[in-house]
Amino acid sequence: MCFKTLPVEFDDSGNARLRGGIPDPYSVTTARPEVNMTEAERTAQIEQLVKRNGHIKDLNMDPVTRIAGAMALHVTADLQDGRYLQAHSQAPLFRGYEVILMGRDPRDATYISSRACGVCGGVHAHCSAYATEMALGLEPPPMGTVARNLAETAEMGYDNPLHLYLLAGPDYSEPVVKATNPELWPKAQSWRCPGEKHHGFKTMAEIMTALTPLTGELYREGLQFTRLSREMFVLLQGKYPHPQAIVPGGVTSTITLQTLNEYHARLGSIFDYAQRMMAVWDDIPEFFYEADERFKEVGARPVNMIDTGYWDHYEAYDATYENCNEWGERRWSTPGAIIDGELVTTRLTDLNIGFEEFVEHSYYDEWDGGRYGTDPLDNPLSPYHPWNKRTLPKPEPKSWKDKYTWAATPRWDRQVVEAGAYARLFITAKAQKLPESDFIEATGHSLKLRIPKGRTPETEVEWHVPDVWNAFERNRGRAYHYVFSQLVGLANLLDAYKLMERGEKKVARLTASELDTHVQRAEGRGVGFWGAGRGWLTHHTVIEQGKIVNYQICTPSTINASPRDPWDQPGPYEEAVMNTPILEKMSDPSQFTSVDMLRTIRSFDPCMPCTTHASTGRGTVVREVNTCSCGADG
Amino acid sequence: MASRTNGDDGKLDRSLAEQFLDVLGPVDRWHDHEHIGDFGSPARVDMEQLLEPVAKAGPVSRLGPLEKVHAFWFAGMSCDGCSVAVTGAEKPSLEDLLMGAHPGLPRIVLHHPVLDLEGGPNFLRAHERAIKGELDAPYVIILEGSITDENKAMETGGFWASNGEEPWGKDGVERAVTANEWVARLAPGAAASIAIGTCATWGGIPSAQGNPTGAMSLMDFLGKDYRSTFGVPVVNVPGCPPIGDNFNETVAAILYFLQGFGPLPEFDELGRPAWLFGETVHRHCVRGAYYEEGAYAEEFGDPECLVEIGCWGPVVNCNITSRGAINHVGGCMNVGGACIGCTMPGFPDKFTPFHKTPPGSRVSTTASRLLGSVIKPLRMYSNEHLNREVRWDIHGDVPSGWASEKSEPGALRGAGHKLYDKLRRTTDTGRQDNETWGKRTEWTQARDPELEPQLPRGGELPEEREVSSQEPG
Ligand code: SF4
Ligand code: SF4
Repeated sequence: MCFKTLPVEFDDSGNARLRGGIPDPYSVTTARPEVNMTEAERTAQIEQLVKRNGHIKDLNMDPVTRIAGAMALHVTADLQDGRYLQAHSQAPLFRGYEVILMGRDPRDATYISSRACGVCGGVHAHCSAYATEMALGLEPPPMGTVARNLAETAEMGYDNPLHLYLLAGPDYSEPVVKATNPELWPKAQSWRCPGEKHHGFKTMAEIMTALTPLTGELYREGLQFTRLSREMFVLLQGKYPHPQAIVPGGVTSTITLQTLNEYHARLGSIFDYAQRMMAVWDDIPEFFYEADERFKEVGARPVNMIDTGYWDHYEAYDATYENCNEWGERRWSTPGAIIDGELVTTRLTDLNIGFEEFVEHSYYDEWDGGRYGTDPLDNPLSPYHPWNKRTLPKPEPKSWKDKYTWAATPRWDRQVVEAGAYARLFITAKAQKLPESDFIEATGHSLKLRIPKGRTPETEVEWHVPDVWNAFERNRGRAYHYVFSQLVGLANLLDAYKLMERGEKKVARLTASELDTHVQRAEGRGVGFWGAGRGWLTHHTVIEQGKIVNYQICTPSTINASPRDPWDQPGPYEEAVMNTPILEKMSDPSQFTSVDMLRTIRSFDPCMPCTTHASTGRGTVVREVNTCSCGADG
Repeated sequence: MASRTNGDDGKLDRSLAEQFLDVLGPVDRWHDHEHIGDFGSPARVDMEQLLEPVAKAGPVSRLGPLEKVHAFWFAGMSCDGCSVAVTGAEKPSLEDLLMGAHPGLPRIVLHHPVLDLEGGPNFLRAHERAIKGELDAPYVIILEGSITDENKAMETGGFWASNGEEPWGKDGVERAVTANEWVARLAPGAAASIAIGTCATWGGIPSAQGNPTGAMSLMDFLGKDYRSTFGVPVVNVPGCPPIGDNFNETVAAILYFLQGFGPLPEFDELGRPAWLFGETVHRHCVRGAYYEEGAYAEEFGDPECLVEIGCWGPVVNCNITSRGAINHVGGCMNVGGACIGCTMPGFPDKFTPFHKTPPGSRVSTTASRLLGSVIKPLRMYSNEHLNREVRWDIHGDVPSGWASEKSEPGALRGAGHKLYDKLRRTTDTGRQDNETWGKRTEWTQARDPELEPQLPRGGELPEEREVSSQEPG
C-alpha cells in the first residue's frame, strides 16, 4: 500500500509514518494531488466559449427531483456541441445532527444519528452503534452481529429496487424515451431482449413501458418488493427507516425461531424477482450501447472508488480498532480503495488515515488544528481527519466561486473517489477475500452469484468488472448488488439457524443496567466503518468522561456530491456530468430537457438528506495515470 | 425567529409565519417558462398530465363532489423518512391515492420532489399557480421535517433548508425559497395543512437540545389561530418515522368526510387523529401481560416486558404495537425494541438517555412484581391442567413421547383441579336435569365395562368421571 499524495509511508510491518523532513506535511499547499487546470483557467475557457457560441444555455435545476432529499444542479450547456461546460451541484439543506450529538450521553447516538437519513435510516443507527461500541470496548456476541447483517441485507433489499424503479427507472421509460430520443423507440420495439428467459419481456419497448411511473408493471412491482424487504427489516428492528432494536454491543431484538422462519419465508420469494431485476438492467445498457456508442460516455468517470466493506463475519468481528484490518478483510463485502481501476488497499486503517474532509466551498467555518496527531495505532492523522474535524455551520450567500453548498468535501489521499453499492462488487471481486460460502465467489475479475432455486431453477450469474464506467454500469451494478446482498442475507440466515441450534442466543454484550454503569466514565475514540445503499459510511466519535465530545458523519452522497476541493478538483457528480454528451434530440433549445445529465446524476443514487454542491468546468477530468512510487503493497 | 409581538389586548397577534412574510414581502414574478422550456422534464409532460388519461379512463362514477385534490409536499429539516414511510403504506396505498384508484377518493395530484417525473422550475409550476390562485382544484400542504429559524440564517446571508428557487430576489434575481417561505405563502389558501412525522408535528430531533438551527414545528410556526380554508387547524400525524398507514388512512378519512360519506374525523387537543393516538402504546403491547405478572427483561433480547431496559410505552401515545410498522409486521416492542417515545412532543429530550429504565416505572413494577408473585404460580397451575386431554385424566397417563419425564399430578393437585372444574361448571346449563331429546347415549359416555377395552389404552374408568354434560339426565 502507498499513498500517492499524502506524505505517508509504510514500514515493513505495514505501520504508517510521516515521511521525514516535511515541515507542514498536511498543509494543502504541501501535499497536492496532480490537477490539470486551475479554477481561473477553467472559467476563462468557458467565458471564451460562451463568447464564440450562441447556443449556450445557462439553467438551474432546483430541485433535482426523483432523488432522495434536496439537491440543485446548475448547468451551462452547449447545445450545438452537445456538452456540459459547467455543472454546479448544491446541497441546500442543513440539520445539524453532529452538533446535536456533541455533549450527549453515548447511548443517545444510535437513535439520534439514525435520523440523519430516512431513506436508509437503518445504516446510520448501525454505523453509530459500531462507532460507539469501539469507543466503549463492547464486542457483540455472535448472534448480535448476525442479526445486524440480516437487518442490513434486508435494507439493501428495499433500497436497490426503490432506486432502480422509482427514482432512476422513469428516465428509461416509454414516455421519456419517446420524448427525448424518439429515434430509439422503433428500434426498441423490434429489439429482442436477450434476458427474456429471466424477465419475461420480449422487446426493449415492453421493458420501457413497464418502467413508466405508477402505471408500469416494473415500477409497481419494484415498490411492492421494497415493502417486502421492509417487512424483513422490521421483523428484527421493529420499524423502518428508523430502527428500534439496536444498541452498542449488539441488538435488542428478541430472536425466536419464528423470527428466522418469517425472514426466511420472505427472502425465499425474493430470488426469483432478483433474477428478473438483474436481467432487466443487463438488457438496458446493451440496448443503448448498440443504439449509440456514445451512451457509454453518459456519466463516465475514472474508476476511483472507495468502500468500507459491509456485513461482518461473526467469528472475526471484535469491535476493536487494533484488529480492524483483520476483521475488515473477513467481511462479507471487502473494504478497499480502487484508484484508476487498481485495488490499492483492503485495510481499514489505510482507508481511515487517508481520509480527510475540507470545507473550502461549504457553508462551514474552518476549524483550527488537530487534536490527534495519530490514530490509536500510532499511524499519522491529518488535521482534516474526522477525529480532528469540528462542525461549525455558517449559512452564507451562495457564490459559485466561494461557498455554495451544505456538503463538505471528503477526499481519500486527496483523490476524488466515488462511493456506491457497486464499489462493493468491484472491491470484493478483485480482493478475493470473501468468507467461504456456497452462494458467492470472487474470481479477481468477477463475482459469481449462485441464486438458489425458487419458482425458477437454480441459476449462476456473473457480474464482470466492466470495461467502461458510466451511468448504465452503475445501474447494472446496483441490480447485481441486489442479488449479492440477498445472498449474503441467506448465508447469514443459515448462520443464525446454526447459532440458535448451538444455543448461542445472546444478542448484546451488556445488560441495560451494566451499560448504564459502563458509560459513566467511558473514554475512547471509535469509528463505525459501515455501508449504505450508496456505499461508504463512517461515523467517528470521541468520548470523554462518558460524554460525546465530537461526532462526525461521512456519508457516501457527501463523497459523491462534494464540491470542489482546495485544489479545484470537482466532485464525482460534476466530473461525471462534464463527461456526459448531450444525446437527446431537440428541434430548438426550448426542448432541452437535460435527460442525459439526469441519468448521470441519478445513476449515483443521490441521497441528500445527509449530505450536499458541485461546480465544475470541462477540462479537469482528464487525469494522468500516476503509478505508485513505493511499489509494493504495504 | 423574532418573538411574537403582543397586541394591545395582550393576545399574540401575528404568527411567526406572518411575521416572516412581513419581512419577505409579497411576490409577483415567476419563472420565464419560455426560457426554461422542457428543462428537467424529460417526458415533456408533467406527472399530472402523464397520469390523467389513465386515472380518468372509462366512465366516471364517483361518491362525492371532488374529482381531484392537489397536494404540495415540502421538506423542512427532514430525513425523508416520512416520505419513505408513506411509500410503504398499503391501506390505502400511495399508488392508489395517486391514481384515484380507490372508490370514493378524489385523485391526489401529488407534487413531491422524490416521486415526480419533472424537476427544476417545471416542478415548481404548480406551486406558482397555487400562489397566484390559479389552480384548478383545492390543494393541501404537507410538511415533512421541522421548520427552522430562517431569520437566524438570513443574518449571515444564507438559509438552512431551501426547496427550489424563484425569481423573488431583488430585481427578479433567482433566490432560494425556503420550506418556511412556501409554507407561509401557501398555508392560508390550503384546504388543510398537515404535518407528517415528529419533526414537523413537534420539532423532533432537529429541535433537540444544542441544535444550531432553531428548529420548531408547523404548529409553532403557523400559530394557534391558524385555520385552513375549511376551518381546520394544523393536522398532526406524528412518529419518527410515522407509520405510513397512519398517514394515508388519515388523509383518506379527511377525504371521505369531504366527499360526504365518512364521519367527521376526530382529532385530539393536539391535532392528532384521535382514533389512532388516543391510547398508550402499552395498552396494546404484546408484552403487556409480562408487565402485569411482574416479569421484566433484564438482558437485551429477553422476551419479557421491556420497561427496565428503557421502555416508555405506558406513557406514550402510539399505535404501533397493534398496527405494526408495515403491512402489520414489526412494531417496536413486538420485536424487542423499547419505546423511546418517538411520537411525542417531548421527543427526544424528555426520553434520554435511551436504554435506561424510566424512573417513573419503579412504583408500578414493584406493585406488579408483588401481584405477579401470587398470580403467576396460580396461572401455571391451571395451565398445567388445561394442557391435559380429558382422556388423559381418565387414563391417568399422557401418551406423549415428548413428555415421558412428566409426572402425573399428585392427589392434592388433582383434587384442586377437580375443584376448579366444579367451580367452572357451577352455572353450566348442560348440567341441568332435563332430558336431551333426540340424543342417545353414545358408547363413549356409557358406563359399560364391556365397551371400555375398545377405548385405546382402555382400562379402569375412574369412579366419578366428569363427562356428565352429555349424559342423559
Ligand atoms: S414493553 Fe413497554 S409497552 Fe410493552 S408492556 Fe412493557 S412497558 Fe408496556
Ligand atoms: S412504540 Fe415508541 S418508539 Fe416505537 S414508534 Fe411508538 S412511540 Fe416510537
